[in-house]
Amino acid sequence: MEISKHMKRNVVSIPETATIREAAAVFVKHHIGLLPIVDKHKKLIGVVGLRDLLSLELPDFVNFIADVDYVHDFGAVETTRPPAETLDQSIDILMKPAISVPEDTGLLRVSALMLQHQMHDMPVVSKDGKLVGVASRVDIGVAILSAWSKVE
Amino acid sequence: MLVPAILSSLIFLVTLVLIFSEKMNRSITGIAGGVLMVGVGRIMHFYSEEAALEAIDFNTLGLLLGMMILVAMLEPTGFFEYLAVLAARASKGKPARLFVLLGSITTILSMFLDNVTTVVLIAPVTILISEILGVSPIPYLVTEALLSNTGGVATLVGDPPNVLIGSAAGLSFADFLIYSLPIVMVAWAGALFLLRHLFKDELAKRPRNAKAVMKLNPAETLNHPKTARKILIVLMGAILLFFIHHILHISPSFVALGAAAVALVVVQPDLNEVLKRIEWSVLIFFAALFVMVGGLEASGVLESIVGLFQGASNVQPVLFGVLLIWIVAALSAVVDNVPITIALIPVIRGLGETGMDITPLWWALAFGAGFGGNGTIIGSTANIIVATLSEKTRTPITSKLWVRRGLPVMLTTCAIASILYTILYRWF
Repeated sequence: MEISKHMKRNVVSIPETATIREAAAVFVKHHIGLLPIVDKHKKLIGVVGLRDLLSLELPDFVNFIADVDYVHDFGAVETTRPPAETLDQSIDILMKPAISVPEDTGLLRVSALMLQHQMHDMPVVSKDGKLVGVASRVDIGVAILSAWSKVE
Repeated sequence: MLVPAILSSLIFLVTLVLIFSEKMNRSITGIAGGVLMVGVGRIMHFYSEEAALEAIDFNTLGLLLGMMILVAMLEPTGFFEYLAVLAARASKGKPARLFVLLGSITTILSMFLDNVTTVVLIAPVTILISEILGVSPIPYLVTEALLSNTGGVATLVGDPPNVLIGSAAGLSFADFLIYSLPIVMVAWAGALFLLRHLFKDELAKRPRNAKAVMKLNPAETLNHPKTARKILIVLMGAILLFFIHHILHISPSFVALGAAAVALVVVQPDLNEVLKRIEWSVLIFFAALFVMVGGLEASGVLESIVGLFQGASNVQPVLFGVLLIWIVAALSAVVDNVPITIALIPVIRGLGETGMDITPLWWALAFGAGFGGNGTIIGSTANIIVATLSEKTRTPITSKLWVRRGLPVMLTTCAIASILYTILYRWF
């Protein structure tokens, strides 16, 4: 079973010149968790995740306090937005190097890679590095499980 | 003896410069320097392995280790978060009140625990409280570090220089309470008053959400209330024994290690987890410095410094003590106060052998080393810890800001200590 048969082909992506504010708008419009960043030739150069954007708004203390259960009200933090100068910065400050797989990769290998790297979505690239699709954990997991009904 | 003296001084000075430059981990620098000192000492026949071992003050190391074990066990129970949350609720979200409460808690903790530990445990909750209030954490963080440095001077176990001085001079826990605590209390009040003034603009700002702190639930911060209670009882017992250790003729290190043993037996924690939280690098750093200073002593360097000081001490003894406070404070502001203290202890002891009354000088050394660390961002380990933590937040503390707030505190506390030292000189 190859990944190319189980991925979404109509992928949204942004150029690296986009701002953080523009990237956030794409996440909102398409309701996605991972946004690939591509160059002029549609080659995949990196990714930015929903989590990376959220880190701009998360308070500092969550990085230092292991257990925030006792904080029942985040108070002022709940209404704090990132400053405009941050949102107008280029998305490349949040860009991470992309982990991707070629179209003919087997589903179990993709599944293992996603578990190891704690990814929710896996970008799929053609032989010349162009972005051709994205497969989610659910896409891959369901595809693997679907074969179980045929087990005698 | 000239060549050994020059070589051993060179080794010690280069080590100090390397520690100061922070190019290399200070414990690694210390190990290298200590080994070099013993090696050169053996070749030049002024220092031996036996003498190096003898130079290590195991009373200091035992006291530090015992207290570290107790704190390492108390830390995961959430007790320190509990105290900070109580302070936040008691402040009702009023910045000036929160400022005094957090500062006081930090001071009291730092009188019995290591300053670094206190700050490491209080600073994260401080960031939490200020963020949900919607105010800058900087005034609180800087003040916690400065007041923990100041409060630590009050007791035998409050900061490493005192542990070293107490052990070398044979001063008891009670001696510190009688001679140091009163002076520190005045200096502390001066520091708090000054900081309240220096941060008056920040503290005048109204928090954006003062009510959120009232929803913090202190009970939920305690992960293991029963364990916390057991360790606190043992800690209290240890503090009580500290008060009378000199009457019972037991060393503070025996009290601390004894308390650690009792706590370990009563709680039976995962020992590997406890050992992981102990700052072995600090203990190694101390041991390495002892070995190096032992070399300086063996090569006769300290003897010549004693001679130098002796000439200077023809001035009034009171003036000599006050000068010592300021010299040690100035040195402690730019270099770690632990090597300064370890190096000056044999010098003062040497002065004592010449017939000088050195008891007041021990106190001068303690005040200078303790208060001097406030002056710069690198003056004490507690400062470095707070600064490093704040660098990972949106509001980093710069070294320039530290000098603007810390240096006035250092000057004020040293001035207060000098005045009281002069007035109370006959009493020491």
